[in-house]
Amino acid sequence: MDTKDQYLQMFFDESAEYLQQLNENVLLLEEHPEDEEIINAVFRAAHSVKGMSATMGYERLTDLTHRMESILAKVRNKEMTINEFIIDTLFSGLDYIKLLLDDIRNNGEERTDISDYLSKLEKILNNDISIQEVLVKPEKTDLNLQDFTGMIALTEEEKEEIYNKMTSNDRIYNIRVILAEDCLLKNVRGYMILKKAQELGYLAKSNPDQREIEDEDFGDSIYIKLISALKEKQIQEELADIIDVEQVIIHVEDYKVEEKAVVEQQEAKSQVDSIKKQKDGLANIQVSPTVRVDIKKLDTLMNMVGELLINKTRLEGLNIDSDVYQDIIQQLDRVTQDLHHTVMQIRMVPIGGIFNRFPRMVRDLSKELDKKIDLIIEGADTELDRSLIDELGDPLMHIIRNSIDHGIEKPAERERKGKPATGNILLQAYQKGSEIIIEVEDDGAGINTEKVIEKAIEKGIITPDEASQMEERDKLNLIFHPGFSTSEEVTDISGRGVGMDVVRNVVETLDGQVFVESELGVGTRFTISLPLTLAITQALMVVINNEVYAIPLGSISETLLVAPEEIIQVRGQDVILLRESTIPLVEAARQLNLDIEYGKYRQLEEIPVVIINSGERQIGLIVDQMLNQQEIVIKSLGKFLVNIKNISGATIVGDGDVALILDVRNIA
Amino acid sequence: MSKRVLVVDDAAFMRMMIKNILIDGGFEIVGEAGTGRDAIELYKELKPDLVTMDITMPEMDGIDAVKEILEIDKDAKIIMCSAMGQQAMVIDAIQAGAKDFVVKPFKPDRVLAAVNKLFNE
Repeated sequence: MDTKDQYLQMFFDESAEYLQQLNENVLLLEEHPEDEEIINAVFRAAHSVKGMSATMGYERLTDLTHRMESILAKVRNKEMTINEFIIDTLFSGLDYIKLLLDDIRNNGEERTDISDYLSKLEKILNNDISIQEVLVKPEKTDLNLQDFTGMIALTEEEKEEIYNKMTSNDRIYNIRVILAEDCLLKNVRGYMILKKAQELGYLAKSNPDQREIEDEDFGDSIYIKLISALKEKQIQEELADIIDVEQVIIHVEDYKVEEKAVVEQQEAKSQVDSIKKQKDGLANIQVSPTVRVDIKKLDTLMNMVGELLINKTRLEGLNIDSDVYQDIIQQLDRVTQDLHHTVMQIRMVPIGGIFNRFPRMVRDLSKELDKKIDLIIEGADTELDRSLIDELGDPLMHIIRNSIDHGIEKPAERERKGKPATGNILLQAYQKGSEIIIEVEDDGAGINTEKVIEKAIEKGIITPDEASQMEERDKLNLIFHPGFSTSEEVTDISGRGVGMDVVRNVVETLDGQVFVESELGVGTRFTISLPLTLAITQALMVVINNEVYAIPLGSISETLLVAPEEIIQVRGQDVILLRESTIPLVEAARQLNLDIEYGKYRQLEEIPVVIINSGERQIGLIVDQMLNQQEIVIKSLGKFLVNIKNISGATIVGDGDVALILDVRNIA
Repeated sequence: MSKRVLVVDDAAFMRMMIKNILIDGGFEIVGEAGTGRDAIELYKELKPDLVTMDITMPEMDGIDAVKEILEIDKDAKIIMCSAMGQQAMVIDAIQAGAKDFVVKPFKPDRVLAAVNKLFNE
C-alpha cells in the first residue's frame, strides 16, 4: 500500500466517523439549541473534516466545511441563533459532505457541484447585520517604502508621553514589517510581531493597531513605532526571524533625550476578547489504541479457525486409547474454542453502527410526511458479527420506513384515536441465547389484515378460498410475499418497488428470521432474529436414509423418541401432542425428496423426532437416527448450488465426509 | 541527537501527517496524544523537546493544555497546529506561551521552518 492509499483509507474511515458524529450532534443540537457542548462538538467535528480534506487537497470539501464551520462559529459566539432553517442547512451540508466523499471514493475526485449551496451559506453568513465580515482589505495607499513615518505619526500628547518615558539610551525606531504574500493567519502573525516588538522595547504605536490586527483588518504591512535601547541591527534581525516576515525596514528618528527618566516597560495588556474555553468531555470519538484491520483478513482468519476445527474433529474421530492422546485432544479442544471465541469477538461490532443512522432518517421523513415521531433506540451496544451488520442496514431501514410511512398516523388522526400526537418507534437489539434479536415496534395504526387479504387476492397471490382458511398470522405473513405492497400508491418513502419480501430475503440469507406481529389500531412489531455468527455453529447430527445431516442447534427446541401409538391423525396429518400443543410430524426424507418409501417410521418402536422452532411455529421432524451434538463449520455450497430447497450449506465432519446442513426453517 | 517531539491532535489522520513531516525532517516522535489531558500526562512522562498541539480537542483543548504544560515546564516549546478560522484561539495560545503556530493543511517546509526556528534560538 503506498502512502497515498494509506492516507486515503484513513481519511475515508475517519471522515465517515466524523460525519456520523456530526449527524448525531446536529440532531441533538436541534433539540438543545443552546447547549454549548453540542455546538462545540459539531464545530470540532466539522473542523477536523476540514483539516483532513484540506490536507488531502479536496477543495470543495474544505470550502464546504469551512463555511459550515463559520456558521457554527457565529452560533457559538452567539451572533446567530439556532433555528430550524439553520439546522436544515447544516443537515444538507452534511449530505453534501457525504456526496463528495462518495465521489472521491468512487471516482477519485470531487464531482458534486456545491456552488449553490455555498452561496446559500454565504447568504446566511451575510444576512446577519451584526456580523462584521472578515475581509482582507487591500492596502489603501501604496506609500513609498522610504517614507512611511506618516503611517505612525504621533499626536502631540502621545509625543509628550513617550518622550517622557525615554532614557538617554533609547532610540525611536519607525519600523515597517512586510508580511509574505502567502502568509496564513495574518492576524496571528501580526499579533506575534507586536508581541515580539513589545519584548524588544516600548511599543509606542502601531498601524494597524492591535485591535485591527486581531480583526485581520490590514494589508501586507505593519508599521510600528518602537522605543528601544537596542541596536537597529538586532531589532531588524529579531523581527525578520519571525516566520512569514518578508522584509523589515527600519528608520531611526533623530530625537534623543538627555535626561534620564525611569522607564517603565509596560506590558501591553492584551485586549483579546477571551474566547470561551471548551469544556471537557462530550460524546465524541475517543481515540483509543486500536488497529484497523481489513475485514477480509478476519474472514480468512475465521476460515482458518474453521479448518482447524475440522481437523480437530477428525482427530477426535480417531479415538485412540491413550492418556496422552486424550490430553492432547482436550487441550486442542480448549484452544480451538478459545480461538474461535476470540476471532468472533474481534469480528463483533456494536449494532449502534447501523442504528445511529436512523434518527436522522426518522427526523427527515417525519418532517416530510408531517408526522411527529420519536425514535427510541435501545441496546445499541449489542454486538453482532461485522458481516451481518453491513447487510442489516437496508432491511432495517426498510422496516422503519414502513413504520413511518404506513404505521404511525398523522398527529390529528392519532389524537382522534385518543393516542398521543407524537408516535413512537422503538428500535431495540438484545442477545437471547445464541441469537441476536432486533425489534422495530411502533404504536401506529397496525396492519389491517383484511386489506392485506384483499390485496393478496387482487395480486393473485392467494385465492379467496385459501384466504378464508388462513389464520391471522398467515395473513400477516403475506406482506413478506414477493410482489406484495400494501401501499395504495408508490410513495417516495417506502414504496420503492421493493417490498417486505426483500427484507425477508436478506435476513434469511444471513441465516436469520423475520416475524411480524400487529394489532389493528395499537401498533406493529417486526422482529428479526439472527445467529451470533455465520461461520461456526453447534449442530445436531442426524442420519436420514444412511446419510449424515446437520441441524443447527439454534432452531431445535428439543428431541424426542416417540412411540407409534402416540401419533394421532388430524385431517390426514400425523401429529403428536406435546405439553398440550399439537405438533405436526414431517418426515425428513420426504421433505428432502429422497427416493425411498415413505412412512416406514410407523413400524419402528421408537421414532426419533427433532422438534424444530420456526418463529412461533413448531414442527416435529422425523429422522432415522440422532447421532451427537458437535460444532460445525458452515461452508456454502458454492454459487452453482444456491437456492437448493431445504439445504443451507455443508460441513465437513470428523471422518472427512461432507454432511449437508438442513435449512429447517423452510421445512417448518 | 535528534529532537524528541510529542504530537497532539484528536484526529489520527492529522497526527500521521505531521509525524511524517517531522520524521522526514529528522525529528524523533516520542509520543502521540489525542486529547489535551493525555498530552499533559505524556509531557510529564516523556519530557519532549517539542510539542505540536492541536487546538480543538475533546477533553481539554489545546490552549488549556498549553497553559498546564507551561506550568509544569516554563521552557516547554509548543507549536500550535491551527486551521484557518481559529485566529482568535491561536492568539490565546500564543499569549499563553506557545512559541509559534503552523496552519493546516500542513506544508512540510513551513512546519519544518517553524520547528527548526525554535531550536536555533
